[in-house]
Amino acid sequence: MALQAAVKGKLISVIGDEDTCVGFLLGGIGEINKNRHPNFMVVDKNTAVSEIEECFKRFVKRDDIDIILINQNIAELVRHVIDAHTSPVPAVLEIPSKDHPYDASKDSILRRAKGMFNPEDLVR
Amino acid sequence: MQDSIDKPVVNDLLDKLTIKQLYLIEEKMRCELNIESSINNGTIHLAKSRYIMGQSSVSTARLPVENSPEFSASAVCETKDEDGVIQFKVAESNAENTVNPLRWFGVLVPQNLHKAQGIFKNTINFVIECVNVQLQLLDNMKKMSILKKYLSTLEN
Repeated sequence: MALQAAVKGKLISVIGDEDTCVGFLLGGIGEINKNRHPNFMVVDKNTAVSEIEECFKRFVKRDDIDIILINQNIAELVRHVIDAHTSPVPAVLEIPSKDHPYDASKDSILRRAKGMFNPEDLVR
Repeated sequence: MQDSIDKPVVNDLLDKLTIKQLYLIEEKMRCELNIESSINNGTIHLAKSRYIMGQSSVSTARLPVENSPEFSASAVCETKDEDGVIQFKVAESNAENTVNPLRWFGVLVPQNLHKAQGIFKNTINFVIECVNVQLQLLDNMKKMSILKKYLSTLEN
């Protein structure tokens, strides 16, 4: 899956811990636009949950962002906001971090997908 | 009469969608595990770079802030429509003001930082693959719920 031909595409944003942000920005997804708005947010132990919520909502509203990456442990802090986002675009992807391995039981999408197999539906 | 024709067809479709749903759930978990191992590999190289260059040399302190000069992302995603489902693919931006992120960390950076960059570039491909599976999963869920609603109207 090599990089395709040069085009004007949409951004991938990231809300994550230091290593996740440094890594993905090294990969080339970071941008600071002409309004001086970055498409990334580094979350540390001092970051308030309200700040994360605000940033997530800001990324959802931006029409130049198509994918929002968020560390699963950070997504847990703002789970209600993530669950409320049902639109396919921007796509919200919960990713593991080096300290927090991926847990499928916490993933918003997978919980909804497994919810389709509730006993009432299976009996029918 | 209509019921007897429709119900088996709808049930058959629901069966197929359920099997697809299980397959997509498995695919999504596989993609997430790929991302996890890729991130772990990348962070090992970041840690090695930190060991060589010093603790604060590879940290958020080196990342651009709101006051930094504006620059564009070099890796972006573009959308395409596949059977009514939005799918993404990684693309190289055509913007002129892209930067090489390695320069934020110095001119002569250790080989490990180059390796970390390569690994995280590849992780973006895994991420796009996972997002595509997730979008297919959402589309499948939508189809299933429409069919279930239709089935309940047939039963009433």
